Amino acid sequence: MFGFFKKFTSAKMLRAKGVLGMNTRNFHIISRYNQRRLYPLVDDKVQTKALALQYGLETPNLIGVIEHQFQVKNILSMVKNHTEFVVKPAHGSGGKGVLVVKSFTDSCFTLASGKTITYSELYQHISNILSGLYSLGGRYDEALIEEVVHFSDVFKDYSYNGVPDVRIIVYKGYPIMAMTRLSTAESGGRANLHQGAVGVGLDIKTGKTKKAVQHNLPLTYHPDTHADLRKIEVPFWREHLLIAAKAYEMTGLGYFGADIVLDATKGPMMLELNARPGLAIQIANGLGLKKAIKRVDKYYPSGLTPQERINFILR
Amino acid sequence: MKHFISARLILTFFLVLSLAFAGYSIYYKIKYWGFSISPRQNANVWAIEAHINFLADGSPIKVSLGIPRKNKGFKILEENVIANGYNTQKYDDRIVFRTKNMIGEQDLYYKIIVFDNITGKDKLKDTAPKSPSLPDMDEQQLAQARQIIKLSASMPGDDTAEKLVNFFNQEPLHPALKSYLPVQYTPAVKLKIMQDILAVEGISSRTARGLRLEEGQKITPDLMLEVYIGGAWRIYDPLTGKRGLPDNFLLFQRGGKSLLDVEGGTGSSVKFSLQKSITSTMNLASQRAKQSKKAGWFDYTIYNLPLAQQNTLKWLSVFPLGILLVVLMRNIVGVQTMGTFTPMLISMSLVKTGFATGLICFVAIVIMGLIIRFIMSKLNLLLVPRISAVVIFVILIIHALTFIGYNFDIKIAQASVFFPIIITAWIIERASITWEEDGPVNAGKELFNSLLVGVIVYFVIANDYVRHIMFVFNELNLVILFIVMLLGTYTGYRLTELKRFAPLVKKVN
Repeated sequence: MFGFFKKFTSAKMLRAKGVLGMNTRNFHIISRYNQRRLYPLVDDKVQTKALALQYGLETPNLIGVIEHQFQVKNILSMVKNHTEFVVKPAHGSGGKGVLVVKSFTDSCFTLASGKTITYSELYQHISNILSGLYSLGGRYDEALIEEVVHFSDVFKDYSYNGVPDVRIIVYKGYPIMAMTRLSTAESGGRANLHQGAVGVGLDIKTGKTKKAVQHNLPLTYHPDTHADLRKIEVPFWREHLLIAAKAYEMTGLGYFGADIVLDATKGPMMLELNARPGLAIQIANGLGLKKAIKRVDKYYPSGLTPQERINFILR
Repeated sequence: MKHFISARLILTFFLVLSLAFAGYSIYYKIKYWGFSISPRQNANVWAIEAHINFLADGSPIKVSLGIPRKNKGFKILEENVIANGYNTQKYDDRIVFRTKNMIGEQDLYYKIIVFDNITGKDKLKDTAPKSPSLPDMDEQQLAQARQIIKLSASMPGDDTAEKLVNFFNQEPLHPALKSYLPVQYTPAVKLKIMQDILAVEGISSRTARGLRLEEGQKITPDLMLEVYIGGAWRIYDPLTGKRGLPDNFLLFQRGGKSLLDVEGGTGSSVKFSLQKSITSTMNLASQRAKQSKKAGWFDYTIYNLPLAQQNTLKWLSVFPLGILLVVLMRNIVGVQTMGTFTPMLISMSLVKTGFATGLICFVAIVIMGLIIRFIMSKLNLLLVPRISAVVIFVILIIHALTFIGYNFDIKIAQASVFFPIIITAWIIERASITWEEDGPVNAGKELFNSLLVGVIVYFVIANDYVRHIMFVFNELNLVILFIVMLLGTYTGYRLTELKRFAPLVKKVN
């Protein structure tokens, strides 16, 4: 009985630590700084991509968009000049419905996971995307065909079977907290912390490991690859921050999460933005977001360009 | 920060205002209208509404309804007639409506408020009948009837009639009786046959009609058998063979006359609505209030509406409390449920089905639905047809359960009819998607949470006291409204977050 209560802490302690709760996030942050009309800019990846192009942000190149069921088979003509491609839902989140095709022949497609699927299975998958299987609220959706990101080798030892990305929380244009999520055997190659992925908090100034947790418990070595998690240092950190900061001007959102991946040749690329980023990043960093938010409100100047904001952070 | 403080301030102000209003209103209702906080105090006060409906054919109309004015077991507190364009005349045991040429559907209401008059029980006034005329039977039927009387002599009972009723209710039916009764028969036909047999023996009998006082709508009256034995009319319940009136039984009509006669109309029916009446307590009290100048208010409240509407409102007025609970569970405790008001819908169904039966039924439907959904997922159907298929499957499952329930007399399975089909189908769809994406543990957790919150809400809204109070003092719903809105400004931690973020402040070993 008491063991059960031991798992709880007090609101007072959390407040002292500056932890951001769900209610405060929704009431004070999201409903104040994120206007509803701006949501489609980040919820729809087609729009996000178009905007990113306009603002000069690097994203994976778009090969084509499939909007209607009768266009499903157009994918063949779209990808005929490519050897590999990615299919993803425009309104998806958390990597749901993403298919990475590494090669294809006249009869089948080979996926990044090594699995092969037939043509009709690929059509079925796109069809499912269009009917809204992976979209928020099950609305009709579009399917994006993108170029494949060639992940830099930096994370190779740190991730089991998955796509490591860096999540940066941006408040009023300032990156305030960052982490990378490493998939594990337990998480089934997915990067969701509640499914058992490892969350590594990154120092906002250096991009170096601050703390690593799995299931809320600290750890030092990756459970599958046994790589030393303390040694992570994300290269091109300044560029990562700059992409996140630029997304502020691009979307007008006061509070969002930017998911950034590192391409081996093209450098950091923006994968997607999230107008309601989760709160687990606090556990990975061992820090409360509220504290960081207050610091920005109090001491950080407004009206700076993205470059100037990053300079201010890295000063 | 500023807009937040002012929002909270305004809402707090309204909350206080509504509290003050509710406080005064409750005081007023108790003091002047005699409403009570406990639902039990009204137990013996009943409002009964007879709704006569028929199609007028254009000729002069005469409608006559048997009424319980002569009844000794209950006293009539108030009598009301709603019949626009009709002349009404009240006699001792009937009310007669008359009018000239009406055309179209006619609705007449006769509404009484009665309360238990314990001292008058079982004192039915008697007039001696003529000895009965022999019923229209052939020799064979006559012989059979005599045989039945003979056979029934061995049944328990004080007199021939009681023995006969018991004989008719014997399980299984005696072969002699089986061959005498038609293959299918209504209670009324059965009663008529009993009377015929009694007439063969030279015993006078007649039917009486009345109502069992249980809350409900569209009730048809029960038939009773009256038999003249030993110089007095004795009354029997033809279903149980018990002598005397059942408890809480109000006789509407005695002496073998019909309950409703309509001249100048077709397709006539009379349906009764009963309510353990709040109106009546109010009426007891409002007579007192009428002498003061505060009486007028009463006419403008929901308690003056027809009973059917009052029953609906009674059902509705408990929901805000359930909604408040859902808000508390989600935003203060932080329980993740499927959809916002799924728990609310589950609890509403549970009220209709009964707790244990409903719960078993719900779990059975969801489990069966999930199995079917998994088989179906192999077919890779598109979203909308897939959910539609699940809806149809749920309907078929309910068909099957109801059929099994009826044939094997399992009440549990029959309760399944009350589950909202579309909602159940969505729960199945959501659960199976969560299952595929986040694993069975998460799906089970979400289902369990929804069910848990549903059960908690059920226990609140199914409570007699809560339902009574929320209806009688319906101004409390205004208070709940502002509490819910004020909760919308709660920005503190959720209870579950105290656990979730505990690693941030504690050294975990």
